[in-house]
Amino acid sequence: MRSIQRRLSLGLISVMVIVGVVLAQTSLWLFEAGLQRYLEAGLRNDAENLLVALVRGPNGVQLDEQRLSPAYQRPFSGHYFRIDFADVHWRSRSLWDQELPRLPEAGLKGNLQLGPEGQQLLVLRADYKRFGQSISISVAQDYTPVRESFRLMRQIGLVLGLAALLLVLVLQRLTVRRALRPLETARNQIAQLQQGQRSQLDTQVPLELEPLVAQINHLLAHTEDSLKRSRNALGNLGHALKTPLAVLLSAASSETLKQHPELSKLLRDQLEQVQQRLNRELNRARLAGETLPGALFDCDKELPGLLATLTMIHGEHLDLSYRAAPGLQLPWDREDLLELLGNLLDNACKWADADVRLSVTETEHHYLLAVEDDGPGIPESQRDQVFSRGARLDEQIDGHGLGLGIVRDIVEVWGGVLQLQASELGGLKVLIELPCGRGLAADGGIPVKKQIG
Amino acid sequence: MRLLLVEDNVPLADELMAGLQRQGYAVDWLADGRDAVYQGRSEPYDLIILDLGLPGLPGLEVLAQWRAAALAVPVLILTARDSWAERIEGLKAGADDYLAKPFHPEELHLRIQALLRRSHGQANQPTLQAAGLHLDEGRQCVLRDGDEIQLTAAEFRLLRYFMLHPEQILSKSHLAEHLYDGETERDSNVLEVHVNHLRRKLGRSVIETRRGQGYRFGASPA
Repeated sequence: MRSIQRRLSLGLISVMVIVGVVLAQTSLWLFEAGLQRYLEAGLRNDAENLLVALVRGPNGVQLDEQRLSPAYQRPFSGHYFRIDFADVHWRSRSLWDQELPRLPEAGLKGNLQLGPEGQQLLVLRADYKRFGQSISISVAQDYTPVRESFRLMRQIGLVLGLAALLLVLVLQRLTVRRALRPLETARNQIAQLQQGQRSQLDTQVPLELEPLVAQINHLLAHTEDSLKRSRNALGNLGHALKTPLAVLLSAASSETLKQHPELSKLLRDQLEQVQQRLNRELNRARLAGETLPGALFDCDKELPGLLATLTMIHGEHLDLSYRAAPGLQLPWDREDLLELLGNLLDNACKWADADVRLSVTETEHHYLLAVEDDGPGIPESQRDQVFSRGARLDEQIDGHGLGLGIVRDIVEVWGGVLQLQASELGGLKVLIELPCGRGLAADGGIPVKKQIG
Repeated sequence: MRLLLVEDNVPLADELMAGLQRQGYAVDWLADGRDAVYQGRSEPYDLIILDLGLPGLPGLEVLAQWRAAALAVPVLILTARDSWAERIEGLKAGADDYLAKPFHPEELHLRIQALLRRSHGQANQPTLQAAGLHLDEGRQCVLRDGDEIQLTAAEFRLLRYFMLHPEQILSKSHLAEHLYDGETERDSNVLEVHVNHLRRKLGRSVIETRRGQGYRFGASPA
């Protein structure tokens, strides 16, 4: 989409130029026509004066010099005449050596070029009958000064018109920018929304924007609400399925079945598979992903509670610590991130001897989450297998956990990269690189391959 | 050891009760959150297993009310809602451990065992140790100087309680309250018989009788 500002300017300019030019041209043309009519009256008067000056003299018809205007005597004075008889024609003395062409028919004609001085003439030809012969009198007047003043007028008009156009454009730009400022504000707020700095748009907006803002706010609330509802429903579903599973698992290891060890083992294995699949899929379904723009994870607020929980579960012998810049906030859903970090740390705690470390750092384009332990680690040759077999490694280690499988799911949804490295502490280091800007997931490196265990 | 199980799913509660009783625990069962709030505060339980999805009152609310009333009994939360966010909430409300459904019965037994030892200041080792005795809770027998001594179920329950409370004077009524669930007839003579059996198997000095006060386990012989 092109900018509204440019579109408005373009429309306004074209309309103004067209209207301005048409208006100016029409008024000039009308004015000129009026002026010519006025001059025509003068010329007709001159012609009639000449007719009157024709007198019958001793040598036939002659012109009474007394009655002629002196302007006809002065060469190139700007006033000329030509009188045509049947066989001869007379010219005024002011024509000097030039010929005033005879118009083909009676009437007025402008723009006649004459002589070395390049005068523009307005010529009127009138036909009369006198002394028994037809006489055609042409009178001409220099039109150049009028033309000159017209040109000057047009130039001044052009300059004035351009100046007006410029002024209008500047004013229009200011007005439009002023009028569009609420749009700019809304755009900024949406950017803040994306960064998780606010959860709703400001509703104090002009009338035209109100429906848009209201709709966005409604959508946000709706998304949050439906996420909450679907999480709740998933929780209920999980509860409804897991409790009977717990009964079955308990029954499978009951005394009665101890007499049939193979049957008991079969039941337990199958139930375990159901349980793992159920947990993985339910957890995957719970992920908010990137649906909620206002979500934020406050490290200082959430991490101590998470570490306390892990300490309680795994016992006091582990030293759990985290390192994050004060006030660091991660732009992802709280529950998703807790799930990610919880599983990673839980996995590390299962393996660690005494030390588990979490560090969260922010670089220009990424957030780096690193979880390290001082356990046995994974040899480099086997690290690839962890990924190629999805969550299998974790399933082999601990029949009750899900660990890396869910971590992989979450990182995948966020477009991040998961790496296994050797830790300085001696054990495994799980490094997760998450792209900063959401919606820019594409440049976040090689995404984790999709794989369902 | 007397446990309170708060779980609204009857088949699961039945299974758990049977398993826990095999492990030598006296178990009371409740299904309603409101009852649990009252009974948890009025009866002397050693540990409470609490489901979160309860009719009447949500499990977290029950737990919060217990903790607000300064009830210090260790509480193990048993729930199908096992996201980390919910776990953190549970532990913030005052739970001591968290077990996600479905689980293996052995895992529940190990967690209970570990939680009981932790709440009595004992290290989490394969066996329970006190006064030179090693109690194997899985096999319900006791080891002394490398010799394995078999125990009956009742003797095991009594000895475990003594070993978790070494060098404390325990009255007969206190012992009865913690060894039998709310529905069993309490007969102090039965207790005396079991104490005598234990003395016969482990030596007289292991359990000392304080006249008018009760029994004392693991006192250094005078």
